[in-house]
Amino acid sequence: MKILGLYKNSQIFKIALAIAIVVVCYIASVFYSQMQKLDSTVELIANSNETQLELEKLLSVISIYETSLRSYIITKDEAYIKNRFLSRGKIEQNIKNLKKLTSNDFTRSQHIDRLKKLIDYRFKLFRQTLIIAKSKNVNRLELNSKLLESSDVTEMMKSFVSKIIFSESAKAKIQNNNHQFELQDSITTAFLLVILSLVILFLSFNKMNVDIEELKKANDKLKLLNESYNTAEMTAGFGHWMLNLETSTYTFSDNLFRLMGVEPNAFEPNIENTIKYIHPDDLDYVTKVHKDSLLNHQSTSMTFRFLTPKGEVRYIMGVGSFTKDGNGDLIKIGVNYDITNQYKKTLELENNNKELKYINTELEAFNNIVSHDLQEPLRKIQMFISRLEEKELDLLSQQGKDYFSKIRVAANRMQTLLIDLVNYSRTIKGDKVFVETDLKMVLDEILQDLSSNIEEKKAAIEIGKLPTIKVIPFQIKQLFINLISNSLKYSKEDIVSQIKITSKKITEKEMRDYKIINKEDYYKIVITDNGIGFKQEYAEKIFLLFKRLETDPKYSGTGLGLAICNRIVENHKGFIKVKGEPGVGAKFYVFIPKGDLL
Amino acid sequence: MITHQDSMHILLADDDEDDRTFFSEAIQELKMNNKLTLFKDGNELMDYLVHPDIKLPHVLFLDLNMPGKTGIECLKQIRANTRFKDVSIAIYSTSSSEKDIEDTFIEGANIYITKPNDFSSLKKVIQEVVNMNWQFHSSGLNIETFFFST
Repeated sequence: MKILGLYKNSQIFKIALAIAIVVVCYIASVFYSQMQKLDSTVELIANSNETQLELEKLLSVISIYETSLRSYIITKDEAYIKNRFLSRGKIEQNIKNLKKLTSNDFTRSQHIDRLKKLIDYRFKLFRQTLIIAKSKNVNRLELNSKLLESSDVTEMMKSFVSKIIFSESAKAKIQNNNHQFELQDSITTAFLLVILSLVILFLSFNKMNVDIEELKKANDKLKLLNESYNTAEMTAGFGHWMLNLETSTYTFSDNLFRLMGVEPNAFEPNIENTIKYIHPDDLDYVTKVHKDSLLNHQSTSMTFRFLTPKGEVRYIMGVGSFTKDGNGDLIKIGVNYDITNQYKKTLELENNNKELKYINTELEAFNNIVSHDLQEPLRKIQMFISRLEEKELDLLSQQGKDYFSKIRVAANRMQTLLIDLVNYSRTIKGDKVFVETDLKMVLDEILQDLSSNIEEKKAAIEIGKLPTIKVIPFQIKQLFINLISNSLKYSKEDIVSQIKITSKKITEKEMRDYKIINKEDYYKIVITDNGIGFKQEYAEKIFLLFKRLETDPKYSGTGLGLAICNRIVENHKGFIKVKGEPGVGAKFYVFIPKGDLL
Repeated sequence: MITHQDSMHILLADDDEDDRTFFSEAIQELKMNNKLTLFKDGNELMDYLVHPDIKLPHVLFLDLNMPGKTGIECLKQIRANTRFKDVSIAIYSTSSSEKDIEDTFIEGANIYITKPNDFSSLKKVIQEVVNMNWQFHSSGLNIETFFFST
């Protein structure tokens, strides 16, 4: 695996290849020098052999001459000495050859020089012997001594030659041994060379194969990526283009063509062809932005429209930026994003918003009518009622007095209804400013405001420990006014009404029931009364708008009070719960988040 | 203009005829020692006030929602003129909106009264406001005591 890893690392492979080539070169040079040496050895052996041959030839010529001379002396037949006898031509040729063969060796050439001198002397003896033999008076003694000397010289020559031949053949033998040895060496080197070359060849081939395989894989991956990119462009509704600023050539993605409402590659990608698909009203702007960017190389971002051949208008968000490609050429890459749907939705949303704003203003106007304009005549009716009651009531019959009382009750009820409506609308409207508020102080204020009501009901109100909370002050005041008023309203007539307001710890059950993650996240304030209570099954309904549980006219509710409470608690991102038991009383639980949950 | 001869001079500017009637009837029934001058709108009030010969009132009851010159415009004009610095101004309106209360407080009204919906309350309010120790009320002026509740 490790080797495979190294194999894949082309840097390491390159280094290995370079080393291998150096080694091969080295071995090749060694091989070359070995071959060179072998060549010279072969030459030396040949030289030695030739030298031996020449020497043998020389000896044999001398022998022939000697024999001829002897034969002549014995027979006196001229025929023995006729045929170029004593011509040294052949021997001179031999010596010349020998000289040439031994020219590069000083000792050997010295040997030959000595040999030449011996031959010269031998020839001298030949000639002297022949002269003696030819003379009329053959001096036998002299002839014999000459012949003896000749024979000695010949022997000497022979032994000298055989010494040279021996030394030559010994040399040749050594050379031959060397030759064998060098041959062996060369074979090993050649074998090594071949093996190494083969290994390199094999590795290179394999590496190439691996590379090609990898290239193919990368290519496949790229193809897949390209395909998925194309699909992604189609799905997401965007297309991209590239401009090489060096070559001034454009490349468009398939989906860019589709965004323009044509088939991919429907035309040659360039400015002239593209501007036909840009909405005429946007054309100047788009070309200006594009051309400016080509000068200052700043990123661009713009919204414009494509006009497709079918006349469809597409809203496009186009961004462009500059970068350099692999060749170092500056290129601009642009992405065009079809925002037609978003644009239409935004437009729709804007319209809806406008409509909503209009409705809101209408509602506010309506609210003003209710809170001010309706209250004005009602207040006057009540005023006149109070005037009549004071001055003219005695003039009416009993039935008239009853009717009149009903008029007063109805007018008062309408007033509370209007006040509640105003209060409710105030909980919906904006300007919700949160302020750190001491609930204890708020409750004290409320008890002041409700003092007449409390006195009338003879209620005992107990205020326990209460926290300081970040709330909308007027709303939180309204909340407790409504809750206490509610308790007062539904109090029992026969016993002293007791109302208790205090903060309590959140129980485990409440955490489970109301999905509270941390006890410390909320304040819990409990309002307990001993009033008429209600059936628990109505617990959720009592917070609904205009929902009233009691139909008895003595409980004159508007059905708004607790709805306002619910609304206010919701405005504080809290929640309100209630537990009731008929004849025993009701418990309201207000949960208001601490900290920044608001 | 209906004028009651007395030492304490009270003005009321209100476009509603009934309210003017209630107000003067209440003053009558209270049998207070004062002189009441009534105005139908802001313009009439201002025309009267700019007259150099008049004796300055002690208290001015000022309705907000009036045709022509509104109550808040009258208030601004009056408070811009140092001649009227000793005149106490009681806003007398049906509205009890936070905005109106705040605006009139900022513009220098002394007290804010919402019109009561029965006659006895009205009498009570007038009596309390007229007999109020203005010196004391003005010196400790703050938004909490500004809004007068019955």
